[in-house]
Amino acid sequence: MPVPVPVSFLLLLILFSVSLIALLFVRPGVTVARSGKIMAFLVLFFLPLLCAWIGVSSELERSKSTAFCLSCHIMEPYGKSLHVDDPSYLAAAHFQNHRVPADEACYTCHTNYTMFGTAASKLRGLRHVYVYYFTTPPPPEKIKLYDPFNNRECLHCHEGARSFEQGAVHNSDPDLLPAIKANKKSCLSSGCHEVVHNVGTLNNVKFWNGGT
Amino acid sequence: MTLSPSPFERRLQISGVLIILGLLVEALCLAWRGPLAFLVFLGLGGLLLFAGIVVYLYSLVSIPHPRE
Repeated sequence: MPVPVPVSFLLLLILFSVSLIALLFVRPGVTVARSGKIMAFLVLFFLPLLCAWIGVSSELERSKSTAFCLSCHIMEPYGKSLHVDDPSYLAAAHFQNHRVPADEACYTCHTNYTMFGTAASKLRGLRHVYVYYFTTPPPPEKIKLYDPFNNRECLHCHEGARSFEQGAVHNSDPDLLPAIKANKKSCLSSGCHEVVHNVGTLNNVKFWNGGT
Repeated sequence: MTLSPSPFERRLQISGVLIILGLLVEALCLAWRGPLAFLVFLGLGGLLLFAGIVVYLYSLVSIPHPRE
């Protein structure tokens, strides 16, 4: 896991780089000397790459945050659904009981747990931007996933957990657990955990405002 | 502030301007913190930084250096 770099440090590094580049711009003759050539290499190659690398990794980490996802107006009801005071609401139950990290709640369930899952998530994010800015986005209650939710994302945490493996309902039929694990029977759309965000019903529910 | 008459130094100055612009875009995007900021950061900032670095590297191989 990358170590988060404070934004203030990155801004200072950018300021430092800009100052040195400005010095080089005003006095380009310093590159005649060997020390000037080394300085030019540092400020025109090494420091910009360092700033870009730190910036990209910092922005990528930030794009996983719940606040980042909910900063789009259209996602506000989905953020609200995390506070529904009803354990049958799957997203709310996970969020409120810290089954997912509260500060990365959206990303934890909606990323792909595959080799290039993070990259796939970012590409999906680009698609969100396209839909939001260049088409007419549907109202929040009509938003659908691009692809059906894969059980793999649930099993990333639940597989092997006693409550899942030995759950009475999961073992009511000997074929059920293998079907869930093979993604042949969806956790969400098979009548078991169907209430997830259900943002169309938020006017008729109570909210829990505790926790973080 | 004017560009240097020396082709090598002039390219360094152009490279510097592009990189400064790229870094300023990056700084603005860090302060902006909206979802679009990341795209502007990658699209515009990344392009400016990349162009600046390419101009610098190109200047190293394309123009004879002034001797020490």
